[in-house]
Amino acid sequence: MSPRRPRETPDDDGIGPRWSYGRGGYALAQSLRQLAARPVASTATLLSLGITLALPALLLFLSAPLEAITARALEGESLTAYLDPATADLDGAALAAELAARPDIRRTRYVSRDEALATFRAHRDIDDSLAVLGENPLPGAIVVHPDTTALGDRSVETIARLLKGLPAVERVQVDLDWVRRLQATLSLARRVALLLGGLLVATALLVIVNTVRLELVRRRRELELATLLGAGAAFAHRPVLCTGLLLGGLGGIVACALALCALLLLRGPVGELATLYGSSFRLPLPPPGEPALVVLVSTTLGTVAALATLYTTSVRRTAHHPGTS
Amino acid sequence: MIDFERVGLVYGRETVAARAALEDVSFSLPDGSFTFLTGHSGAGKSSVLRLVARLERPTRGTIRVGEDDYATLPPRREPALRRRMGIVFQDSPLLAERSVFDNVALPLVIGGYPFEAIRTRVGAALERVGLGARAAARPSALSGGERQRVGIARAVVARPRLLLADEPTGNLDPAISADILELFLQFNAAGVTVLFASHDTALLEGFDFPRLTLVAGRIADEPPAR
Repeated sequence: MSPRRPRETPDDDGIGPRWSYGRGGYALAQSLRQLAARPVASTATLLSLGITLALPALLLFLSAPLEAITARALEGESLTAYLDPATADLDGAALAAELAARPDIRRTRYVSRDEALATFRAHRDIDDSLAVLGENPLPGAIVVHPDTTALGDRSVETIARLLKGLPAVERVQVDLDWVRRLQATLSLARRVALLLGGLLVATALLVIVNTVRLELVRRRRELELATLLGAGAAFAHRPVLCTGLLLGGLGGIVACALALCALLLLRGPVGELATLYGSSFRLPLPPPGEPALVVLVSTTLGTVAALATLYTTSVRRTAHHPGTS
Repeated sequence: MIDFERVGLVYGRETVAARAALEDVSFSLPDGSFTFLTGHSGAGKSSVLRLVARLERPTRGTIRVGEDDYATLPPRREPALRRRMGIVFQDSPLLAERSVFDNVALPLVIGGYPFEAIRTRVGAALERVGLGARAAARPSALSGGERQRVGIARAVVARPRLLLADEPTGNLDPAISADILELFLQFNAAGVTVLFASHDTALLEGFDFPRLTLVAGRIADEPPAR
């Protein structure tokens, strides 16, 4: 497709905007002109980039709400350390306080022998059985609520081992099999997301490299002319870097827009599902920092792709013309 | 001053198709001179100009332009060297999607001139070559002679001390060729050193400027006096 010829009007003096005659402005104007000269191809490239980066962006936007759901689900989970019956209440309470000071433990509660007995007596059948025994057979216990971070990774086993190693603790009850399953599922999901995200980011990188390489071919004549007129490497490379930067930045903005649309589409069904489970959870919009991060990363990708293209091109040129530099 | 001393140039040195373009070429051109470089096609005129513009490296011999000895000139200083020259080709390559103004402004943008200076200098250069009214035109809307004038305006806009012209009238009819040559004479009268390559000896009739005639890569005439 031949590029569109810029419009000429009677008052057109052929002079572009003032900023486009500075070295940096010239590079930016050249890149914008290249993008505008082939609107269909440029739009297709930006959409390819946007769609490719939309999934990693969506995963990023969903990561915080999913972490919050997991943390909320794990909030009530606990380990119970049954103490030696000989342990005095004061010692048991002191041990509970000592454990609560650990960073991987959110809180502890000491259940004295009397409190345990009172709880059991609340059940009529058990109360009868206890009456036969005469004295209180129940041990004191410490209920340990691990920090949600500790529940999220494998440090809950560390806490269990710690409790088992304490002299006053006779037995530790860990009923967290489902937590382990959740951990394994989350770990797998994270890995799949990372793998997928990495592949898509690599694809975006290749799309930009390919586009920049094509632009270098298209602009070869102009670059040769600029060299004849005394342009250094920086002048010749700047528009190419600008193109990579623009493609990356604009691709990131398209990706954010698509990911936000997807998020808005998911909000309703997720809310309905949460209601069915008796939860008031609603999928939140990401904080402004996250879309900004996506644009920053994609802009960096664009710049890296342009640099890589320039580097490989100059290496090849040097290899072909070893006598010139 | 341009000094060539026993300069040789072989293209494709590392290949079986190696071809000597210049052999043992020596001459010296003083500042402010106007010199015709003549010879048939393939005689080596363009090679001489490309060597002066540092677009080629000599296979042997030494070249000096002004204060610069090309044997010791680091590559990083080549762009600045070319910015001090104006180069005009047979088919002045122009940027097709840019206006005449932008094409002529390119050396000034490369040189980092401020916008006001660019506007003033480009306007003056276009007036000088008679294209003051065509600043907004695209190259495709220009005739061959006008395109060549744009190329000349671009070559002189940064006020170079040396102007290299490689068959600038090659594709033009005699009347326009004479006009173009007249432009170069005017620049020379303003103190610019001009090295004008042309195979068209008829065009050069009646001018009493020094000539360097190349035959098969060698200087055929006596070099001009140093």
